[in-house]
Amino acid sequence: MKTLAAPTTRLLRRLHDPTVDIDAEFVVAPTSMEEAAEILAAATEVGQAVAFYGAGTHRQIGSPVDADLVITTTAMNRIVDYQPDDLTVVAEPGVTLADLEAALADRNLTAVLPETEPNATVGGVVATGRSGYQRLRYGPTRDRVLRATMATGYGKVVTGGSPVVKASTGYGMPRLFTGSFGTLGLIGPVLLKLWSQPRATATVVVDEPEVVRNAAYRPLAVLGTGGIGRIYLGGTREEVDAQAEAIGGRRSEGLDWPESHNPALRLSFRVPARFVDDAVAAARDLDTTGWVAQYGVGIVEAGYDRIAPGGFAAARSWAESVGGSLVIEASPDELRRKLGAWGSPPDSAALQRQVKVRFDPAGICNPGILPGGI
Amino acid sequence: MVTAVEELTALLGDDRVRTHPLDQHLFAKDAGLRRGGAAVVVFPETSGEVAAVVKTARAHGMPIVARGAGTGLAGGAVPQEGWLLVVLTRMNRIFEIDEVGRTAWVGPGVVNLDLSQATAGLGLHFAPDPSSQSACTVGGNVATNAGGPHCLAEGSTVAHILGVELVTADGNTIVVGGEAPDTPGYDLRGVIVGSEGTLGIVTRVLVRLTENPPDTATLLMAFDTIEDASRTVSDVIAAGMVPAALEMMDNAMCLAVENFVQAGYPTDAAAVLLADVSGHPAGTAASIELLTDIAVGNGATSVRVATDASERALLWKGRKSAFGAVAQAAPDYYLNDTVVPRTRIVEVISKTYEIAERYGISLMNVFHAGDGNLHPLVSFDAAEPGMTERVVAAAREMVIVAIAAGGTLSGEHGIGVEKRDLMSSVFSAEDLDAQARLREAFDPDGALNPEKVLPDGARCFDWGTA
Repeated sequence: MKTLAAPTTRLLRRLHDPTVDIDAEFVVAPTSMEEAAEILAAATEVGQAVAFYGAGTHRQIGSPVDADLVITTTAMNRIVDYQPDDLTVVAEPGVTLADLEAALADRNLTAVLPETEPNATVGGVVATGRSGYQRLRYGPTRDRVLRATMATGYGKVVTGGSPVVKASTGYGMPRLFTGSFGTLGLIGPVLLKLWSQPRATATVVVDEPEVVRNAAYRPLAVLGTGGIGRIYLGGTREEVDAQAEAIGGRRSEGLDWPESHNPALRLSFRVPARFVDDAVAAARDLDTTGWVAQYGVGIVEAGYDRIAPGGFAAARSWAESVGGSLVIEASPDELRRKLGAWGSPPDSAALQRQVKVRFDPAGICNPGILPGGI
Repeated sequence: MVTAVEELTALLGDDRVRTHPLDQHLFAKDAGLRRGGAAVVVFPETSGEVAAVVKTARAHGMPIVARGAGTGLAGGAVPQEGWLLVVLTRMNRIFEIDEVGRTAWVGPGVVNLDLSQATAGLGLHFAPDPSSQSACTVGGNVATNAGGPHCLAEGSTVAHILGVELVTADGNTIVVGGEAPDTPGYDLRGVIVGSEGTLGIVTRVLVRLTENPPDTATLLMAFDTIEDASRTVSDVIAAGMVPAALEMMDNAMCLAVENFVQAGYPTDAAAVLLADVSGHPAGTAASIELLTDIAVGNGATSVRVATDASERALLWKGRKSAFGAVAQAAPDYYLNDTVVPRTRIVEVISKTYEIAERYGISLMNVFHAGDGNLHPLVSFDAAEPGMTERVVAAAREMVIVAIAAGGTLSGEHGIGVEKRDLMSSVFSAEDLDAQARLREAFDPDGALNPEKVLPDGARCFDWGTA
């Protein structure tokens, strides 16, 4: 193994953060993207595997990674540029969703990121491409990442996208970075598009959400949880009232999201929206302990005490047969190694590998976390 | 040895391979100003044919460019001498529509408006609505990440494309994305949209269809000054309101439109704003009131509210005929496309008028004000010596002004050849290198639409360790 140059060693020593409770040989907390890029350049040179860590909320998604070095974003946690009059904000990757939303509350704005993950970081959410329940109304998270900066595997700081709400200027790099799971580099500050919070909101509990959802015009979300359906409404007081009445059912004020219970075993069925009820049936066949189904979106997240490999394989093969996937979102590492975190690699796996190698030529960034060993 | 044309003719037949100088002349430009060179023009009808012509062109070392209706304005579909031009307009079938999932698989040659008309009976539409929507194709919309007035609330084309079938640079056919959300792996779908034919040729498109709003009102607001209208736009956004559409037209534009289609636009106003508010019927009244209050607070001299379909259609006809109406003023026009933060519209717009005055050219403004997407439009006569050069120079200054205000090069037309040399004004060398790396992953030999989007030398090769 090559040895690091003295300045890099000094940098690593200075940024070393022994207080972080992560199982890795060495944890560093860079304070800038330039520092992160320098570390990645050094890791590329010596061929050391690097993993990235925000709040650790999503650390069990994807194939297990053995990292020599962990870069955490805890020292990059500022809201850099908030432009409420233009409905945009720039946040560093370590900002938690709770802190971001608190900052936006002064003008009643929201970044519409996952509602039930207040401790997750902006960088973690963007890296994993996670969306909240309100994607039914506002689209997925990746539609709101307008500009993104990355410290690449080859050790440079690059920015893609544009600082405005609409652009056709060069390649959609923020979309490539969003959901890339740290395999291309470390996600840094992102410029997010904001929305105004609706003036009134309500949650209506119904028996069959799929049947009555058309009584509402563009609800914020339509969820099914353990036999109960919930339709989430937002807008002016008048339109919320009119729609709640048209739907019928039991109404409560505000948005009553399902409790986040983070089971140690969690699966995510991702299927075309018309198969949501089938996905719920498949989740129940595997003896789920509780689930949240997103109607109109096509995601069913289900918790388990244990997973039978035979039943799991059948469920995954069904999900893939309808053009979807069955992803393990939380489990002990051995289970993801045994069953595969993602399932069959996509049609474009060869192309994806070509992208990976150009951003991470030494293969040091979260190696193998994505499908197809990327 | 068999020539490329002979091989292509064997694949597609005589009538779908064109090398006649007249064809070559017709297809040597898009709706912009630049003319390219004589290409071999082919009209495939299936994905398999596209893959076959790509392989043939590659075997003969011909660069390849795809084209839809040719309504692009940035020269993205303009070929050069000896290239293969793949015209996709014959791939215009709507394959299947999923009413429950609100999606459809369509050919790239389907005309934008035809798709919305075909799904109207289901209460659905394809949200991107460029001004050219009665002619432009879905494939072209994908290539440029096209916009339109209603992208303000709905997002540009990329938010409405769930998947694509792509013929890659080596002639393979793959599908990326799909009906299911969050396909594992990189979001290649999201980078193919807006890539201007440089990453592959899209041969089938999975579009998201949008529910038609149950209620819509159109407001026409008149102002005595451009500044009042611009400030209204900024205040609407700052109030957290995102109308379905929010367009601005200046006096010169209103005059041209009125003369052309008699849509009832005031001809004495310095500027008008045209807005759609839509949604649940119980909410529209409140939105109309809020918008009216903000407009009146900024000095609106009149606010006309149209709620019935025919009156709304007439007001929108005025907006959508803008580019046709310009032809009355002069034979040629140059339509610019930049985006600025919504807080900076007032100053940037006034600077564009100053620039036009300094260059002695005739400027009209018609644009997507709500998302800060400016379209300064210059009408001129290209036959006048030196005029085109003057217009292009003025347009360039307008772009620089937008960038200085924190804006970007293009909101919906793309970069093409028009602005590739300006890319370094918004991206660093490292940023451009990252984009070049992405392109190289898809097309290592630079066979697809070369000399477009990225400037020459964008890829900074690593001369260090191999």
